[in-house]
Amino acid sequence: MSQLKDPIREGIAGGWKVSGGALGPVAEKIVCDVAIIGSGAGAGITAELLARAGLQVLIVEEGPLKSSRDFNQKESEAYPSLYQESAARKTQDKAINILQGRCVGGSTTVNWTSSFRTPATTLKFWQDKFGLNDYSVEALAPYFAQAELRLNITPWLAAPNENNDLLRRGAARLGIPAATISRNVRACWNIGSCGLGCPTNAKQSMLVTTIPAALDMGAQLLTETRAERFEFANGKVRALICRSVKPNGALAHAERAQAAIKIIAKHYVLAGGAINSPAVLLRSGAPDPHGRLGTRTFLHPVVMSSSVFAQKVEAWSGAPQSIYTDHFLDTQAIDGPMGYKLEAPPLHPVIFASTVPGFGQGQHELLSSFPHNHTLLALLRDGFHDQAPGGRVLLRGDDSAVLDYPLTDYVMDGGRRALLSMMEIQFAAGAKQVFPLHEMAQPYTSWAQAREAVKALPMKPRLIKVVSAHVMGGCGLAGTERQGVSRPDGVHWQLDNLSIHDGSLFPTSIGANPQLSVYGAVNRLAQGLAKRLTGRDVTLA
Amino acid sequence: MRRRTLLKLGATSAAVLLVAGGAAALLQPGLEGGALSSAGREVFAAIGRAILDKSVPAEDGPRQIALNGLLGRVDALVQALPPHAQGELSQLLSLLASTAGRRTLAGLNPPWPEASVAEIQQALQGMRLSSLALRQQAYAALHDISTAAYFSDEASWSILAYPGPLKI
Repeated sequence: MSQLKDPIREGIAGGWKVSGGALGPVAEKIVCDVAIIGSGAGAGITAELLARAGLQVLIVEEGPLKSSRDFNQKESEAYPSLYQESAARKTQDKAINILQGRCVGGSTTVNWTSSFRTPATTLKFWQDKFGLNDYSVEALAPYFAQAELRLNITPWLAAPNENNDLLRRGAARLGIPAATISRNVRACWNIGSCGLGCPTNAKQSMLVTTIPAALDMGAQLLTETRAERFEFANGKVRALICRSVKPNGALAHAERAQAAIKIIAKHYVLAGGAINSPAVLLRSGAPDPHGRLGTRTFLHPVVMSSSVFAQKVEAWSGAPQSIYTDHFLDTQAIDGPMGYKLEAPPLHPVIFASTVPGFGQGQHELLSSFPHNHTLLALLRDGFHDQAPGGRVLLRGDDSAVLDYPLTDYVMDGGRRALLSMMEIQFAAGAKQVFPLHEMAQPYTSWAQAREAVKALPMKPRLIKVVSAHVMGGCGLAGTERQGVSRPDGVHWQLDNLSIHDGSLFPTSIGANPQLSVYGAVNRLAQGLAKRLTGRDVTLA
Repeated sequence: MRRRTLLKLGATSAAVLLVAGGAAALLQPGLEGGALSSAGREVFAAIGRAILDKSVPAEDGPRQIALNGLLGRVDALVQALPPHAQGELSQLLSLLASTAGRRTLAGLNPPWPEASVAEIQQALQGMRLSSLALRQQAYAALHDISTAAYFSDEASWSILAYPGPLKI
């Protein structure tokens, strides 16, 4: 357990209005100015700005409030407490495993800190195809700059760890440009456990920045409380109905035995993240005249290549993802064959062992290589081509959300090319062996052998290992009602006291790790909302 | 609400049950109270020794301790899963624990406790590369749960030469 100062525990001791779960029962009826669903990237930025405008803000979070004293770098505690579905959320056909946060701070509490502004090519596509004329590099620049200042987003200046330097060296030997990633950290200890909650409060997640700022200004936080559905009347949201949940997401008491928590607000902000935000609207029977709700949900499907080096790599140690290359995004048309971004993820025992394919002797040999293992991942840029329309959020019989995401041949072609690119870089960096994560692959000891083998592998769902940590879309922004769920100002096209302020707004994937895209876009939307509701101009501290 | 999930998996695996004239109502659930039932334990004990064959100790005594430890960790992992995932896993284990399900879904003839490591590994390989989504999904669930559970505990980290968390 971290012995460092814990700003969250201090805040609670100092009188923050926090309830739910272990923090005490939630009132059955709450009246406020603005109810925000979620506490991640979009919710955090919105909460701070609206509280700064003098509004009474209520934040509703399904996950628990955990903080640095709880963050002990153990996957066995982090996954069940901080991630959706205990880090085992899957698409409907179980071909893609999805990592998404479910705790105060949302995915920002557990992400790997990679920060990129929305690429210019992505914004251009939104302007051209979705009528989002205000979404230009120039128009968004000041909002990105404010978020970067607030969250200390700067290029990582320390030397990359060996895991990332291998990407840099391998790419350089092939003449492929690679660059340093900006990170949202302050006085980072370079430990490498960002994905398990930052034990030193160095990561400038929503948990330690905007949410505490909002609570200091009198905002109220409900934890372990699920936003179940909205009630509507006359084209407006009339109430938000919530329920207390157990740590695994089950209702805390049988529905009949549990009084609903009813929240009445002047305005509602849905920021539960992609998959969950559309699901709240689906459960509510929200108007959806053009059948857009939950569709075009994107994942940046990730394929991976594992490799073994003679020297120690210790991919668990040091800042994760400090080097990247966009070579395979920049060298082809955005709507041509699928492009991909390459990064070097951190590895910890559970995520490594469960990702290593196979069993018995072969699995054991790969497991034993752990300290020498270097894995690259490719984020496939979905949403820019007819054959990459993303997935659709559905409700199961128990009203929980599930994403149906077909892995089309077009996407899988990108996956194959990405495996080839990653393996070539790994051999160029000096790998003794590479192993593309596919159930029919073998360890390969030369680039020629690996290339021929991967060209012949069937690129089929569940044979190739696909994961995602970037869920986007489902409540897409569009300049016309026919094309999307949300107006360019973030307000729902059919419900004018409901705004959507999270990654579910994006009409395509981003083509980069999305956290800063959420911060920048929502910073502008929330400033606009504050002005509309109060007449006041506010900015992030 | 649980019923729809059951029916869906039931429909997919209807052929499995029809083959041996089984009936879902007669099967023992794979999970009880959010932990492995005796049927579920039997399946995971066998799956664990096949998947982790070279990663658990070779000698009988320590091997048994390691595999018992695995079952405890699977219980902890299962408890953290949301209700829909527990429901699906319970039904999967229930099917696998039945004779008909073991033979058709896993492709394994001898009962789980009597099957050799080689026989179970052969069955797993058949599921892994099967053209049936349900068999592939079953393989992935068994593989991911047993390895994630086993390596969630520091007792297993020496195999990975992983030093564990830093003291802060």
